[in-house]
Amino acid sequence: MIHKINVIVFLSAILIGTTAFFTLKKEKISVDEKRELAEMKPFNWETFTQKEWSKGTAAYLADHFPFRKALIDGSDKIKAAKGIILETQERIILAKKPLKKPKTVIDPTISHMSYVDDFEEDYTGDLLILNGRVYNLTGGSTKMAAVFAKMVNEYASALKGHTTVYTAVPPVACAFIPVEKYKKYNTQNRNTLAAIGANLKNGAVFSDVFTELNNHSGEQLFFGTDHHWNATGAYYGYVAFCKAAGLTPVPLAKMDKKIKYGFLGTMYQTTRDQSVKEHADTFKYYIPKVATKAVRYSEYNYNSPQRVSVFANSNGGNMYSTFVSGDHPLIKITTGVKNGRKCAVVKNSMGNAFSVFLISHFEEIYVIDFRYSKHNLMSLIRENKIDDLIFAVGLYATMSNGTINMMRRLASHAGMAPPAPPTKPSNDTIRKSPNQQPDTL
Amino acid sequence: MAFSSITFLYFFLPLALGFHYLFKNMVYRNIVLLLFSLIFYAWGEPIMILVLLFTALFDYGNGLLIERFRGSLKAKVVLVFSIIVNIGALVAFKYSGFLYDNLSLLFDLPFQRPKVFLPIGISFYIFRTLSYTTDVYRGTVAAQRNPFSYLLYISLFQLTFMGPIARYEQLQPTLESRHFSWNDFSAGINRFCLGLFKKILIANVAAELTDKYLVNGFSDLTGADAWFGIVMFSIYLYFDFSGYSDMAIGIGRMFGLHILENFRHPYAAISVADFYRRWHISLGTFFRDYVYIPLGGNRKYQDRNIFIVWMLTGLWHGAQWNYVLWGCYFGVIMILEKYARSVLAVTPRFLKHTYTLILIVFSRAIFYFEDFDALWNFITIHLFDFHTFSNLGIAVDVTTHIYWLTIVIILCIPWNEFIRNTGKVWRFFTQSYLYTSPIISLAFLVLSTMMILGSSFNPFFYQKF
Repeated sequence: MIHKINVIVFLSAILIGTTAFFTLKKEKISVDEKRELAEMKPFNWETFTQKEWSKGTAAYLADHFPFRKALIDGSDKIKAAKGIILETQERIILAKKPLKKPKTVIDPTISHMSYVDDFEEDYTGDLLILNGRVYNLTGGSTKMAAVFAKMVNEYASALKGHTTVYTAVPPVACAFIPVEKYKKYNTQNRNTLAAIGANLKNGAVFSDVFTELNNHSGEQLFFGTDHHWNATGAYYGYVAFCKAAGLTPVPLAKMDKKIKYGFLGTMYQTTRDQSVKEHADTFKYYIPKVATKAVRYSEYNYNSPQRVSVFANSNGGNMYSTFVSGDHPLIKITTGVKNGRKCAVVKNSMGNAFSVFLISHFEEIYVIDFRYSKHNLMSLIRENKIDDLIFAVGLYATMSNGTINMMRRLASHAGMAPPAPPTKPSNDTIRKSPNQQPDTL
Repeated sequence: MAFSSITFLYFFLPLALGFHYLFKNMVYRNIVLLLFSLIFYAWGEPIMILVLLFTALFDYGNGLLIERFRGSLKAKVVLVFSIIVNIGALVAFKYSGFLYDNLSLLFDLPFQRPKVFLPIGISFYIFRTLSYTTDVYRGTVAAQRNPFSYLLYISLFQLTFMGPIARYEQLQPTLESRHFSWNDFSAGINRFCLGLFKKILIANVAAELTDKYLVNGFSDLTGADAWFGIVMFSIYLYFDFSGYSDMAIGIGRMFGLHILENFRHPYAAISVADFYRRWHISLGTFFRDYVYIPLGGNRKYQDRNIFIVWMLTGLWHGAQWNYVLWGCYFGVIMILEKYARSVLAVTPRFLKHTYTLILIVFSRAIFYFEDFDALWNFITIHLFDFHTFSNLGIAVDVTTHIYWLTIVIILCIPWNEFIRNTGKVWRFFTQSYLYTSPIISLAFLVLSTMMILGSSFNPFFYQKF
């Protein structure tokens, strides 16, 4: 009898799963994972022999398994139950590269989604979990800092006399781990960022973001559950930029403070650690008292601009997309600051929290995500008479030849020319002076 | 398709079971089993299934020819031809790159390195087909007359990817005739779920810890880290492979097939020879019956025979020199153990067990590092770095995995060997397990499903052989 019961229980469990798969409604997007769930691959000879069909079907079945989210949450609890976890314990875990690169979500109608972040795509290595916060342990390299600076110098050379080029690169959160043995990451980050400054030429200006943040290292400058800096950290980055650019930063007290709760970002999604989950971030942000209007453009052209918010109503795991509505190829922000000053910010997601502070100082801000934009940056700068070009990217982006070249290629993309600005047409084009260095862009 | 995938658990398995038991006629059941086996293999190897089909048909014919020419020289010629072609296929698919790399060091080869893909499970099914033709030649089994029956034996989805290397004579009775039994089905479920648990909740966790200590470069590795890393790799190897064998045996029983055991608590062994009588038993018995004994066994040149068998065992595991070194390492130990038999006989059990574990765990380093420089650095710099033996990181990993480690130890102990003869205690445990098995198996299934969904796919280590 017990054997019969065993067989019936097992088969029932299996068949409940199978039946629910075919009967329950299937989601298309996983918000937590910031990706589209797998779709069924068409069956044909090529997909079959290339194993795409079998792999695609396996991914489809796993992605759409009934109650997937609840079961994944359950798996996090099982992982936590492997032993005794003390909150103050320092635990190092390994972030693995996903076996398959997740498909990026580019549907502009899906307002709550944003592009997959480069951190998730690229980061592998040690993650430290301490007091419910996650730190990726890296400090970059001075050698790659010089490679990044060289790319910035090329822009500075090409734009000399017309547009000032700045860098505003923040360190990584591990620079400020409040434990003595991890102070080496503070030094590493400091040296790497200083090397960017030391290698800048052709009038490119270095914003000393590290020093500014280091002066406030007692404050929370980064999220604990996400790899980005928080609004406070980004504010000090903005202060560093203002100092470099000769601007007067607006005090935080003169901005509207907003708070959202329960932010579990990329670091939580990577670790799925229960102690991190229990320390969800409080998401504070500051809105400068300036009127704004923002539109996003697609990767290639300026057709059909869509309205986006400078401070979006993003929630859940996607809360960081509050800043400039997340990552888009190109966003143009027009502000109520009628001073005629314009800037372009070349950024990855780290630059989003930084860019929003600029609305107090510029009439127009062009926020270009170097990972997705196919617009020609030089045309954009020339046609719109941009005064300042700011490279506000995370440290990771400066440490890879791939991402540095993506920033370099912005100068040569064949994207459509921007629409003529509303002011009078410009005759002003960038002319090289005889003693100017060769334009390598 | 891995047994521990959503595709297999919730789609392939219920469909295969459903269609199989839809028919009472054994012919139809075997047709269903064959079709599902071919789908299973083609799912992972849509092109290389041709190699499997060729192997099956080739040795189906060889079996008939050997039987027809039994007693004559022609039978021997056919057997030798079968061995040459099968080993040739194995060499071509598995060792051609390795041979090219080494020969090109000695000679200026006039051709490029061959780009050959290793068909999944080729080392397993080639050995199975070799055992069949040899057994037909020896007269141990009769040649199979039905090509589809032979193809079913070779392609049986329970065995194709990672064994065990089940012999034809062991499987043939249940392939010819099998009946549904609630007991068998239930035992199969329990075994399958245990294997699933071992793979997903033990082996995959051990793999993560192994990666953490051994994969990410080891410039900062202390002696404690190094040992912890290879202990985790040892745990991973055992639970990964024995978990798969449990699943294969369990699925076999669900279909009424009886597959012999492949592991018997190897980490409880009291000598290295004992360890390999408990580890990957089907491979050990294959080499014993088809290599060691024909070479002369323990009748003549025993030391040479032991060494050859272990070198081949090493080479079977991979086309790299570290596997050859690994085989030689065990060849030497086996020979030394043979001479030290009288010493081992009087050594306390605890010491023998410790000695065995140290040698086995150390061998995992040779098995793990395919690069000799990395292996040499690991052994000379890190493994014996007793100056920095203490490490807080390991203490943290031990405490955060303390319940998991307890389960690992419990599963490594051969409880049945200890309490089988205890009468009441044994009965109590077997009865308790019997009546709680539906809950335990269901829990293993649900927990494993959660973990499968919660983690990225982790291929079985032994699938590459």
